[in-house]
Amino acid sequence: MKKPVPSEELLEEWAREDEEARRIRRESADWEFIEKQEPKVREALIYLIERGDRYVAAKIACLTVDEFDEIRIRAKIPVVL
Amino acid sequence: MTIGVVDACFIIDWSRYKRRDRISNLFDIIYIHEEVMDQIRSIRAVEFTAQLMRLGVLRIYPWSRIEEEEFTRLRNEVLSNSRIPALERPDLLCLIIARTLEAVLISENIGVHRVVQYHPEYMHLRVWTALEVLENLVYRGAISVNSTDEFLDILKEYEEDTLHKFRSDRVNSVLRRMREWLGS
Repeated sequence: MKKPVPSEELLEEWAREDEEARRIRRESADWEFIEKQEPKVREALIYLIERGDRYVAAKIACLTVDEFDEIRIRAKIPVVL
Repeated sequence: MTIGVVDACFIIDWSRYKRRDRISNLFDIIYIHEEVMDQIRSIRAVEFTAQLMRLGVLRIYPWSRIEEEEFTRLRNEVLSNSRIPALERPDLLCLIIARTLEAVLISENIGVHRVVQYHPEYMHLRVWTALEVLENLVYRGAISVNSTDEFLDILKEYEEDTLHKFRSDRVNSVLRRMREWLGS
């Protein structure tokens, strides 16, 4: 059976939304705070800014989503929806 | 009866919100998977989760073997195409529970919102973020507003409490619906 796939139009719409969300996260983030973090947390925060996926970002930092969210708030990275 | 299913990010974010208790006005039952519960660790979110459980609003979903088979099938579909946004196991669990119960899925994960935009078996699902939860709390009378400007103040309050930013096109869609509701 053929697996469902999104249309090209939808993929383009998602790409536009992702770019806008990335821009907002980059502009809002406290980069000074981010640069001061230990490597795992710093990389996780940068991943979050670029991709917006909190679950994976928390995994990179070896934390739960909840624990990582405390750091997200301190890093001033908004959830863009 | 209104049934909801929640993901971890929503509970974590919503527990920061000063009007968080209002959610029990919107749903008779909210289900959560135990693996989603495992992500909740902060005192604030644990207290809120426990409070909803004491009220009988939040319950752990009794996951079954058949649903595990659906998880494997859906996971394989999603993983086989690199252009589909990544979805982790807890996200897929929430989608499957919401489909089984025909419940409103409350999720802050963009990948979940995108599955229902293209997958024929999941397209009928209602997936809300906090924006639609706030909108429906107004319709239910749990948050009182007399104008769209007052609703924008409510949104601003939520965005500040939780460090969120709702996209303007989504906010405008809600404002259009609310304007009609206020006028009726």
